[in-house]
Amino acid sequence: MMPAIRTDGLTKRFDDVVAVDSLDLEVWKGEVFGFLGPNGAGKSTVINVLLDFVRPTAGSVRVLGHDPRTDADRIRRRTGVVPEGNPLYDRLTGREHLEWTARAHDVAVDATALLERVGLPLEAGDRPVGGYSTGMRQRLSLAMALAGDPDLLILDEPSAGLDPTGSRRFREIVREEADDGRTVFFSSHVLGEVEAVSDRVGIMADGRLVATGTIPELRAELDLDASIVLEVERVPPDLALEAVPGVDGVAVDGTTLRVDLADATAKGEVVARVARHARVLDVRSEGTSLERLFATYTSAGSTERSAESADRSRLAEVEE
Amino acid sequence: MSVRTVVAKDFLDVRRARTVRFVGGLYTTLIVLLFAQVRFGTGGPSDARMAVWNMVVVGAAFIPAIALVSAYLAIAGERESGSIVSLLSTPVSRRDVVLGKYVSRAVVVAASLAVAFTIAAGLAAVWFPAFDPAVFAGTAALTTLYALAYVSVAIAVSASTATRARAMAGAIGFYFATNLVTLFDDVSGLAALEYVANELLGLGLGADAIQFLGILSNPTRAYLASTMLVLPAELTEAIGLPARESLSWYVQPEIAVAILFGWLVVPVAIGWYRFERADIT
Repeated sequence: MMPAIRTDGLTKRFDDVVAVDSLDLEVWKGEVFGFLGPNGAGKSTVINVLLDFVRPTAGSVRVLGHDPRTDADRIRRRTGVVPEGNPLYDRLTGREHLEWTARAHDVAVDATALLERVGLPLEAGDRPVGGYSTGMRQRLSLAMALAGDPDLLILDEPSAGLDPTGSRRFREIVREEADDGRTVFFSSHVLGEVEAVSDRVGIMADGRLVATGTIPELRAELDLDASIVLEVERVPPDLALEAVPGVDGVAVDGTTLRVDLADATAKGEVVARVARHARVLDVRSEGTSLERLFATYTSAGSTERSAESADRSRLAEVEE
Repeated sequence: MSVRTVVAKDFLDVRRARTVRFVGGLYTTLIVLLFAQVRFGTGGPSDARMAVWNMVVVGAAFIPAIALVSAYLAIAGERESGSIVSLLSTPVSRRDVVLGKYVSRAVVVAASLAVAFTIAAGLAAVWFPAFDPAVFAGTAALTTLYALAYVSVAIAVSASTATRARAMAGAIGFYFATNLVTLFDDVSGLAALEYVANELLGLGLGADAIQFLGILSNPTRAYLASTMLVLPAELTEAIGLPARESLSWYVQPEIAVAILFGWLVVPVAIGWYRFERADIT
């Protein structure tokens, strides 16, 4: 199968700064690919190269089988884009944006249906975009990306500025598009968004692709623990939980038992054994969150997997 | 042809821009005031030719401003705001953007001049019994050509710069470099050309050769030289322009017109070349 997007050794330098460093990336047709990384990791530069907004310093790029440098218009004809920061024309109405985009793609558009699909009020569609909120602009950008009936969607931080309803709508649309056989390539630093909707994930840090794969694959590759937390009435002395296959370690804090698992399927046995010896008040299961994965991959040069580094990456989000 | 989609979009956008309408309106007002001044002041009803000459002079100074203001942000403004990315995310090429913007802004400028000329022609016909429609139409055509030469320059500047500030600096710089040095004798561009060519480079060029360099390098000078083609000989004589017969072939008004046509193409081609190679971030 031909990949929808493929880069080999893609490198982009701006003066002395290496924004993208020897990137090898493959996105398959029909998949939803989440392109994850902190701000400044080089995600937007990669997207800008795919769309021929910037030219690579080295390496080769194929989008839908074409080279952006020579066949950008062929790529754009089959691609819908949500650009970073949803730059729009403040003097034009939402409807005019959609009609113009459809015209550029040479297709007919049902602007009303599109506005409804992304959850923009129809009356807002007739107002100049200058008065839109960030969330509304983001919804309109998504509608514009869909207006040309594309085979490939390239979305740069598409959920930034969306409220929870908007985010949910966005995820539904991405799934619907993928179910129709379209390829969705979207960047995000919002981890939950990527986790919820992607078939595969690529993690970028400092211009490099540090990991690619499905989320279970990434977990396996990293060998990260899952853990289970039990609240008990009283911690019994002779649990010997360490003897259960798959258990990595046990920590006791008051009446809280925290059991780290190398094998997540050991959870049932752990709960059963504790329940035989003590009254269990509560059980919480903690899978390896993508956030922890993310922190692991992107904390530069550090092997530390502490909650602190996850907090730092959250902080970076807030600051942005 | 996606140049057309760019033109269509740009019309939508620019028709809501106030600046362009304002500058166009100002030019119309100026012409009307000048005509009124000739009619009711200095010249009287018999002086239709002086009225047309005034239109040339005010046009020489004012037309570039209209053209530059109308077009210098066409591309650079969109790069600064980022909306160029929206535009280029659709199936339009960079060439389409440059040509589409050029066509759209050229049409906007030509249309606002057409309005101004229509009003001026109507007034002139009423105020000046000796009004010559042919002279007026010729002047209007050359003035429009002159305006489009500056639109071409503005598009080139806009395609070569990534921010509003730089585009403005480029547009103002070009305006001063071509306009002030032509219209004010104190800062004569020709004297500067002569100094560089003859004193510094020792080329020993004659007056006509210097004049040719002036026409070639400066659309304002080309415009003024070209008007000899349409203005009657009595008028050009009265305002102290040299007789056509005394000029070398390469400074004849036809050459000046050809050079103005060159200005329609060359700057835009350079702008396109630069825009094609720019990183748009």
